[in-house]
Parts: sequence; C-alpha cells; structure tokens
Amino acid sequence: MVGMDNAWLLAALPAGAFAILLIFGPYLPRRGDWLSIAAIGASFILFFPVLAELLDKIDTPGALPGLSGWTWIEYADFKLRLGFAVDQLTIVMLVVVSFVALMVQVYSVAYMKGDPHYGWFFTCMSLFAAAMLTLVLADNFLLLYIAWEGVGFCSYLLIGFWNERRSAAEAAKKAFITTRIGDVGLLIGIIMLWRSTGTFDIRETFEAARAGVMSEPYLTTAVLLIFAGAVGKSAQFPLHVWLPDAMEGPTPVSALIHAATMVVAGVYLVARTLPLFELAHPAALDLVTALGLTTVFMSATMGLVMTDIKRVVAYSTINSLGLMMVALGSGQVAAAMIYLLAHAFFKALLFLGCGSVLHATGKDDVQELGGLWRKMPLTATVFGVGVLAMAGIPPLSGFWAKDEIILSSSQHQNAFVYGLMVLSVFITGLYMARLFLLTFTGEPRDRHAFEHAHEAPPIMTVPNVLLAVLAVVAGLVVFDQVGEALGFPGGIGKFVYLAEPEAFKFHGGVAAVSIIAALAGVLGALYFWRGEAKPAKAAGARFPFVYALWKNKYYIDNLYQALIDHVVLVFSRFIAWWDRKIINDTGVNGSAALAVYSGFRLKFLQTGRLPNYAFAIILGVVVMAIVAMTVLV
Amino acid sequence: MIPMQHFLVLSGILFSLGVYGVLARRSAVLILMAVELMLQAVSINFIAFAVYLAPDAFVGLIFAVFVITVAAAEVGLLLAIVLRIFRNQATANVDEVDLMRW
Amino acid sequence: MSVEEGVFYVIAAITVIGGMGVVFARNVVYSALFLILALLAVAGIFLLLSAEFLALVQILVYGGAVTILVIFALMLTRVQDTPAALDSPQKPFAFLAAAGVLAILILAAVGTTWPGQTEKINAIPLRDFGDALFRTWALPFEVASLVLVVALVGAIVLAREEDGE
Repeated sequence: MVGMDNAWLLAALPAGAFAILLIFGPYLPRRGDWLSIAAIGASFILFFPVLAELLDKIDTPGALPGLSGWTWIEYADFKLRLGFAVDQLTIVMLVVVSFVALMVQVYSVAYMKGDPHYGWFFTCMSLFAAAMLTLVLADNFLLLYIAWEGVGFCSYLLIGFWNERRSAAEAAKKAFITTRIGDVGLLIGIIMLWRSTGTFDIRETFEAARAGVMSEPYLTTAVLLIFAGAVGKSAQFPLHVWLPDAMEGPTPVSALIHAATMVVAGVYLVARTLPLFELAHPAALDLVTALGLTTVFMSATMGLVMTDIKRVVAYSTINSLGLMMVALGSGQVAAAMIYLLAHAFFKALLFLGCGSVLHATGKDDVQELGGLWRKMPLTATVFGVGVLAMAGIPPLSGFWAKDEIILSSSQHQNAFVYGLMVLSVFITGLYMARLFLLTFTGEPRDRHAFEHAHEAPPIMTVPNVLLAVLAVVAGLVVFDQVGEALGFPGGIGKFVYLAEPEAFKFHGGVAAVSIIAALAGVLGALYFWRGEAKPAKAAGARFPFVYALWKNKYYIDNLYQALIDHVVLVFSRFIAWWDRKIINDTGVNGSAALAVYSGFRLKFLQTGRLPNYAFAIILGVVVMAIVAMTVLV
Repeated sequence: MIPMQHFLVLSGILFSLGVYGVLARRSAVLILMAVELMLQAVSINFIAFAVYLAPDAFVGLIFAVFVITVAAAEVGLLLAIVLRIFRNQATANVDEVDLMRW
Repeated sequence: MSVEEGVFYVIAAITVIGGMGVVFARNVVYSALFLILALLAVAGIFLLLSAEFLALVQILVYGGAVTILVIFALMLTRVQDTPAALDSPQKPFAFLAAAGVLAILILAAVGTTWPGQTEKINAIPLRDFGDALFRTWALPFEVASLVLVVALVGAIVLAREEDGE
C-alpha cells in the first residue's frame, strides 16, 4: 500500500518519464506525450493514499512528518540524503503541483499541436514536475536546493522554448540570471546554517536554532539570505523583472510554472523556514512584509496599463505573490497557504484562458482583441470566473483567501499596511476587470482576427472548467465544518499552522471593506473601459507622467540595464583584458618565450670542446669546496 | 719524522699542476700526461692516509695498486681513441674536435 | 730538520719540477721526458712512505709502459711544437682554476684535524699486504685483471685499420 514512506514515488514517476522521454522520446508514438501525462496523473492519484495516511496519523505525536529516502553521500561530517518528508505543508503543495501540472499537460496536447519540438515540450514538463515535487518533498536543504536549481533550469528551457525567437532567448536568459542572484543568496544561507548546526536536515536545523546554537545576527543574516532566494524565485521587488518577460514562453508554461508552481517555491521556502524567521531578529519578517507590500502595489499599478493579455496576468501573479509574502511576514502560514491553493487554480485558469484566446485568434494584444464572448462563450465564462476570483469577490475562493490575509494584516500590522492592502484590492479589481472587458466585450478591434476566432477544443476547455470549479469552491476549506466533512481535523487553519492551530476567523467589518473595495474596482473598470474606453484614455492623458511611469515598469528595467552596462560589463571587460594580456600573454606565452629565449642564449655554452667542459667541472668542484669549507664548517 | 701534511701539500701541488695542464694544453696526448700527474697525486694521498692514519686496514695501499692498474688500462684505451679521432679529423687538437657543439 | 725531512724535500722538489715541466714545456718530447722524471720521483716518495712494493710497481708500470705509450702517441699524432699548437686560449682560466684547486687542497690539508696521529709512518709488512690483496680484496683484484683484458681488446678494436682506410 502506498503511504507516506513511498511519497518519493510522486517525484520519481515524472523523473522516470523524463529519463525515458529524453532518450526514446522521438521514437515513441505521438512523441511520448501520453507517457508524461500518465506519469503526472499517477502522481496525482498516488497523492490520495498519502493524504489518507497523513490524516490517519495527524493526531499521533511524532508520527509526522512521514519520512522516507536514503543516504546518498556520507563523508566525514558531510551528509547528503535523498530524503523525503511529508507533512501538512507538503501535502498542500503536492496537490497543487500534481493537479495543476496534470491539467496543464492535458491542455498542452491541443495547444502545442503541430509544434516541431512537441516531444521536447513534454520532456521538459516531466522534468519540471519531478523537480518541483522533489522540492516540496525534500527534507534537507541541500536536496531542496538541488531541486530549486532544477526548476530554475526547467524554467529557462521552457521560457526559451521557441529559441528561434530572439526575444524568447533573451527572456530565458533574463529569468535565469535574475533568479540566480537570489539563488546565490539561498546557497550562502544554507551553508551558513550548515556551518553552525552541522546538518542540512530541515528539522534538525530548527531544533538547533531553538537550542540557541546561532547568535541572532548570524541567524538573521542566514535567514535573510534564504529569503533572497525567495525574492528571486517568487518575483518580489526588486527581482520581479523576469516574470513579465517570461511570458515569451508557451502559455501552458506560464500557467504551470509562472503561476501555480515554480513561483510559489519561494513562498513555500519562506513558509517552510518560518520557524527560523520567528527566531531571528524581527526586522527579517518586517523586510518580508515590506518587500511583499511594495511588490503588491507596484505590480497592481503596472497591470493597469499593460496591453498584452499575458503580461497583465503576469503582473497579477506578481501581485498575488506579494500578498502571500505579506501574509507570511505576519507569520500567517495558513492564510498564505490557502491563498496559494486558491491562486494556483484561478491563476492557471486565467493563463490557460489567455492561451485559448491566443490559440483562437493568434493575437495577444488587447488593442487587437475585443468582443470575443460571442465567439468563445465558454472560455469567456471561465475566464470571467477567474477574474472575479482574482479580484476577491465572494463567494469565490479568492475572496476567502484574500480576506484571511487582509484580516491578519489588519491585526498584526499597522494601519498604513492595512490601508495599502485595501487600496491594492481596489486596483486589482480594476485591472482584472479591465482585462476582461477589453478582451471579451465591446467591439472587436481587429476584424480579421475576430472572424477567425473559434471556441477552443474540449481538450483545452475541460481543464479550464475543472480549474474554474475549483476556483469557486476551493475557498471553502477555510471553514472548519467543510474541513471536517472532508476528513481533515478542521479548516485549513487547523491543518497548516506554525505555532498553534487556528480556527477560521471572520471579521465582518474588515470583510465588508474588502468587498466594497473589490466591487468598486470592478465597477470602476466598467466605467473606465466600457465600450470605447473614453474615460480611461482621458485619464491617461490627464496624468501623462504617472502613465509613463507605470507603462515603463517604473524604469526598473532601464536601471538594471544601465547597471549591467556600466558596472558589470566594465568589470567583465577588465577581467577579460587581465586574462588575455596578463595571464595568457605574459604568464603562459611569456614563460614559454622566456624558456625559448634563454635556450637560444645559453646554447653557446655547449661548445663541444673538451677543455671548456673540463673547466666547468673544475669550477664546479672549486665552488662546492669553498661552500663546504666556509658555510658548512 | 715527516708530518703527514707535507705529503698532502705535495699531492695538492701536483694535482693543481695537473689541473692546469688539463685545461691549458691543446693536444690530447699532452692532456693525457697532465691526467697522469693527477693520478699520481691521488696515489700519494691515499698511501699517506693509509700509512699514517689507518695502518691496520691499509685500504689506501690497495687502492693505490688499483689506481695504477686502471691508469695503465686507461692510457691504452685513450691512445686508441685519439688515434681514431686523428684518423678522422686529421687533428689531435681537442679545440678543433667540436662536433658535439650546439 | 731531520734527515728524512731533508730527503723528502729534495724528492718533492724533483717531483714538482717534473710536474711543471710536463705542463709548461715548449717541446712535447721534453714534456714526455719531464713526465718520466716526475713518475720516478713519485716512486721515491712511495719509498719514503715505506710502500716499497708500490714504488716498484710504479717504476715498472708507469716508468716502463705508460711513458712508452705516450711517446708512441706523440709520434703518431704529430703534435707540433708551436705555441699556438701547444697552449689553448683557455690559459688564464686554467691558471685561475688551478690556483683555486691548490688553495682549497692546501687549506684542507693544513687546516683539518686528522683522526689519528700524523707523525709516525707505519710500515706495512709486505706479507700482510699480499695477504690482504689476495684474500680480502680478491674480487677487486680479479675485476682489475678483467679491466686490463677489456682495455687490451678494446684498444685493438678501436685502433686497427679498417678495410679501405
């Protein structure tokens, strides 16, 4: 019977599929897409027995986490375990990853049809699934880091999937390098922890930290470095710049990696290491909250002016990630996780909906779309569900999840933070509704594209509908009654928690404010962008500076480019010069030339004449004798 | 009673004369003669040590016998070589036999 | 100064003169003759050192065979008598080297404290010498005779005329 000690299978199956596809992919029928889907489907099915065993053991103290795995390398005080641990946090991530991956892969069968690299797509998808599942199952930091790098690599492969396109290659490079900056921090943080605790195991590190092995500055530094990794992967300010560009990849990739799974790896990491954050200096969590808040606000404003539908959804992803970080900054693991769960569903839904639009019309710019609900009613409906969920309209899941976060921020943070959160709810409603209106309502702006538009095939719509259903109901797991009915000890607050289980709290006033803000946003969008969007254009003309600021992404990309051009490349050129001129020319070639030249000069010593040689011998003897008599006496 | 150092000094003088001869003479045969001088000096040295310092195990004496023996063999061979070179190069001047130069 | 010392100085002087003649003579045959003088004087030194057997061997081997060979070689290689043919351009360096060697040797000889007495000459009885030579040092003795055979054969092989030469 599969149980928690076989949980590693969930990661191993897609890994096996990847290996087979890598070698035999081109020879399999249909390039092996069925193999990849079967593997991830099997992982999804195997999730349920694991969940069942977890629920069985949940009240037994010490039974969790369920551990499995084996030691790979053991040498002196270094130990690398392929270790897998299942606990509540992992279980939530497992269902998210396996289900959304399955939906996306099924969707891709139709979306990627006819692509010359069709088989390679599924190979990368399998690898990604394996890496992501390993990441959430890992019980030690080193394995987590390996998987972390693995998902980053898959992201690179998949963003640059259409590598004939210059922009795609550049975007992949940008993504990799930007997350790299964070990854370096993560690695240093992990090493710092290992140096003081002597172990990579996550739980042993927690115990050591609680025992006070590390000084507070040391622990805080390590924790902040780990957070740097999360900043990179989860696209927080200032490392958020890669995510919008990552939309160069195929839409299923965006749905899976840049909405539901990889980007939340950072959130998972912070949630997993939250005990360390709690033990560190409070400034660490404050930084998490601050960056999260900045991210929320900036991305919301930028989403308001973008015209590429995928980019708008990308900015909404950054927005959501910021919200999750704010939640974690207040120590609310349950709130963050419920939002993660709901967000996975409705964000994937939104992306796949964009994909359907793209597939149908070949256009992704709202300036060329419009009025599509007549041609694609099903897609329009589910997209609308996604929009409302994102905006936070009850009773959709987005509302419950967002409400938890806003409630916690109102209770644990100051009024400024709360105010910004409410403002962001308003803006989110605004730009999400704007997206829907511009794409699906009004008059079509490009007649030609409109004529060709058609509803997506069932293979694409079924996953969308499933995701939509979940987007509607997933929020209900916050209620204790719903949770207990499903076999959980209660609502999500009682299931995933840091210090103590918490029941779902509902504060009427706070909820009302959020609902009003969200509705105001949606209705405001209706006013601004309805029909010809005249009010929006007027507003844009009235505040040109602000409009330009948002449209140019706060000029951050320009800043980074300038930094690279004037700092990094200058340094690189110097290093290249050093390597070429000093090390190669002078050092390597120079010593060779020196040897040749000295040989050229010294060869005259070999006269071939005996008396000269005899003289040399005698001279040597005399010198040695002198040395022996004077020095060694 | 002759102090040992007298013999050692004598052998030193002979040896250095031999060194000069080896380095300053042009013909191979002349160099050979200087080498013989050097061997003589060595023999004197050995015998002096044996007789003065270690008369019980008089290894120096035995060694001197062998020195003479080997010197004789060496002279024979050396002259054969010199004759060979002389036939090839028409000269016995060591300065002019420099085929092994750079 | 005792009689022995006086005798020693005379014989030593003869030896040195002979040596100098070998390396400084302007006539090659004179060099050879001075060599004979030096060799015989060294035999005298051996006598002073109470190594009579060796003195005899010296006269026989060196004074007899070696000098004959040397003179034959001089004749066969036709060494000229001109200064250019006698002395190499390396002369100054040779002086320096020789002087250096001399200085070192004299310093070593005079400056070292020798382990043992340095005054009395101990004569080695011939009987013991012979015993040692043929008993303890039998193997080197045999090898030495082998060396002589090899030299003999080698000299013949090297120096004989090939066909056509």
